[in-house]
Amino acid sequence: MAIKFERVGYEYQDIDGKGYLALADITLNINKTGEFITLIGETGSGKSTLAQHMNALLTPTEGRVHIFGVKISREGKKDKNLKLNPIRQKVGLVFQFPEYQLFEETVGNDIAFGPKNFGVSEKEAEERAKKMINIVGLDESYLSRSPFNLSGGEKKRVSIAGILAMEPDILVLDEPTSGLDPLGRNALLKVFYEIHQKLDKTVVIITHDMNTVYEYAKRVLVMREGNLVYDGAPTQLFSRKNVKNWNLDVPDILKVRRAIEEKLGITIEGETRNKADLMAKIGEALR
Amino acid sequence: MSVIEIENVSFTYHGDKRALDNVSLSIEKGEWVSILGHNGSGKSTLSKLIVGLLKPQSGTIRVDGITLSASTVRDIRKRVGIVFQNPDNQFVGVTVRDDIAFGLENLQIERPEMIERIEHYAKKVDMYPYLNKEPHALSGGQKQRVAIAGILAMKTDVIIFDEATAMLDPEGRERVMEFMRTLNREGTTIIPITHEMKEAVMSDRIVVLKDGKVLKADKSENILKDKETLERSNLELLLPLEIMHYMNENGIDNPSLKEFLWQLSLNG
Amino acid sequence: MKNIVIGRYVPGNSFLYSMDPRTKLIALIVLMVAAFLIQSFAHMLVALLLVTSLLIFGKISVKRVYLGLRPLMFLLFFTFIFQILFNQEGDEIFVLPLHYTALSIFAAVAVAVFWFATKKRVRFKLLYFLITVVAIFAVFHFIDFGFLFARGTFRVFEEGLSTAFFIMVRLIIIIMLSTILTITTKPTDLNLGLERVLKPLGIVRINTEEIAMIISIALRYIPTLLDEANKIMLAQASRGVDFQEGKLKDKVVQIISLLVPMFIISFQRSDDLANAMEARSFVPGQPRTRLHVLTWKRLDTVAMVVSFLALTFVIVSRVVL
Repeated sequence: MAIKFERVGYEYQDIDGKGYLALADITLNINKTGEFITLIGETGSGKSTLAQHMNALLTPTEGRVHIFGVKISREGKKDKNLKLNPIRQKVGLVFQFPEYQLFEETVGNDIAFGPKNFGVSEKEAEERAKKMINIVGLDESYLSRSPFNLSGGEKKRVSIAGILAMEPDILVLDEPTSGLDPLGRNALLKVFYEIHQKLDKTVVIITHDMNTVYEYAKRVLVMREGNLVYDGAPTQLFSRKNVKNWNLDVPDILKVRRAIEEKLGITIEGETRNKADLMAKIGEALR
Repeated sequence: MSVIEIENVSFTYHGDKRALDNVSLSIEKGEWVSILGHNGSGKSTLSKLIVGLLKPQSGTIRVDGITLSASTVRDIRKRVGIVFQNPDNQFVGVTVRDDIAFGLENLQIERPEMIERIEHYAKKVDMYPYLNKEPHALSGGQKQRVAIAGILAMKTDVIIFDEATAMLDPEGRERVMEFMRTLNREGTTIIPITHEMKEAVMSDRIVVLKDGKVLKADKSENILKDKETLERSNLELLLPLEIMHYMNENGIDNPSLKEFLWQLSLNG
Repeated sequence: MKNIVIGRYVPGNSFLYSMDPRTKLIALIVLMVAAFLIQSFAHMLVALLLVTSLLIFGKISVKRVYLGLRPLMFLLFFTFIFQILFNQEGDEIFVLPLHYTALSIFAAVAVAVFWFATKKRVRFKLLYFLITVVAIFAVFHFIDFGFLFARGTFRVFEEGLSTAFFIMVRLIIIIMLSTILTITTKPTDLNLGLERVLKPLGIVRINTEEIAMIISIALRYIPTLLDEANKIMLAQASRGVDFQEGKLKDKVVQIISLLVPMFIISFQRSDDLANAMEARSFVPGQPRTRLHVLTWKRLDTVAMVVSFLALTFVIVSRVVL
């Protein structure tokens, strides 16, 4: 088990010292390889807080998180020998806004910044920058450009390349596609799927977009008011009961499929996780 | 009567490629016209030009018959309001009340009238209980609603929503769209600038931009179904219409299902 | 950053809260001047007593004010010690012979080491430190056996003691008064009050409305920027920036990795904000109506008269004495 949450609670305090429970009693396991997880929940449900526990940016106030064998807990916080950096190399976390991390003069230097912090040689870091810029779908001419003159979508890709260059085992992305146009969004999701498939990494995506959840995820985590209320496959998630209780949006594919089934008075057999599948099935049914 | 007329407008950012290239379009009073385009298509530049935040290198812009120039820009801003993308970067006041007041103070509205308008429009966007709240206590969607109230209070005829829902969660987005519908019913001209097709379905007309040019402008019905035009501008068909397109291509004829899919797409 | 107590508004309800910010600002200045002009020991004590009673009748938690004073305790303490040690004017009022013997030096070092080792566990740190200092003096005074290196004397002079006392009480009064102002006045009201009080500066071409606008926007964005800085730190920590450790060279890079995103985001923000303000018909320097108005009440007149009377009294007694 790469990441293991054991009854994790997290309370934070506002400026007046009033406590708020952001996470309550979370127990959860994430494997080192083979997972494609989406983490969903309304704003303020604790999604981002949960993600920040995955690479020890936050220390739980209750319970403990084991990350690649290192125990993170309130009691262990005082231990001076506890090194958090190796954990952050293994679990790469990409923040929502690339502007939070881009700072070097060139894209190449910025991508190389992470690996160098973990003791990778200058030369090796440059090699990785070259490799990763291609993986995120940009070409090497970008390496010498300034990260500040890029479009929003390009900045996102560069920030992801910067984390990938650390060669983490697990990649956690906080709302990676927000604000992108449909083409940019789909292209980026394909990049994540390839990272998962070709580089055999576990990918965790925080998102509000149920279409992403339904089309890509193998596993969904649903947060609600600090609690983990669902941990399972996306196909079972969107039952009428769950949709109502957890105020979920139904993915377009499922919504349209259900409407058509009802309209035509038919039942479409099998799963239709993407547009192509759904259209083929409808075609079959109508011919 | 046209409330906004844009004629042959071009704009280039300093030392950059052309952001808008010879754009012409006109928008009628009370109309709902969506401006669709990919990231970098020039759509936000267009909104900044309309309220005179940027000055076109060529072409003319008229609002309510007034030609935009340095001397008329204040008149034009009384008529056209913009809700911008980032909820945090347009919240000027220290509290919700102060923020709604900001535009009214600039227009030199008398205080009793100001108080009346603040309360009225705060109620209208369901933010009345939050009047004394500070921005960091509000969600993105709530901040955008405050921005809408701030513009409504100035009694503008036209509201541009410049990717106003891009940074919101689905609930916040739904609420903002709800206000677009209400306002349009009440006669306000609504101009959403977006790349979300779901935001465009309610509009009367759609203008598709690509690389600074008007690719196509037509009734919504025609654009929504136009796969080729949308895809050329990095956009995609709504799923029910994608299915309809698939049916057409594969020679599946089922008029009642097609009509059903059309209705489905309109209802989001 | 969570412990910043000075300058924070605390909601409450008392006559201090209902006073006009202009009154409070002017009264603050007048009373501060008065505190500086007081020369008599008795008057100083009375002033301290009056300000303390202002706290009590104004229903302001003394603890809050103490918390406000705490970060400045060291400064107060230091000026006090400095005056006592180095101001040697006036009569000697206290003489303490000291003996520097092998044993006394050893004992003094032992006391210091003990203090250093235990100070983290003691709650009243300042008091504990004071006791330690007294203990060290006691050691040098009383242990006069063993091998004697030298003798010395610790003297306190009248001037030193009284100057130390006046400086300290003045500082305490000033801090208390300004804490009262910030605790009882919303930043927006304070800003508005400041704008009005400074209005006469308009004559010398200083646009006080613009300054007030700048302050108000700063107030609005400080929490946002702090939040942002925190997120940037987390994002860079995710890339292996260890803000706890690192050599000097690393520290420089760490700070750059924080500052550059801060600047870029802030510029973007100010650009957006300028657009939003302009689009809502803001024109710098143009007259605006205002939602907030300040209303002068009888209470304000009374407070003003009292403050100026206090100042007059201090001046008169200074001249007469």
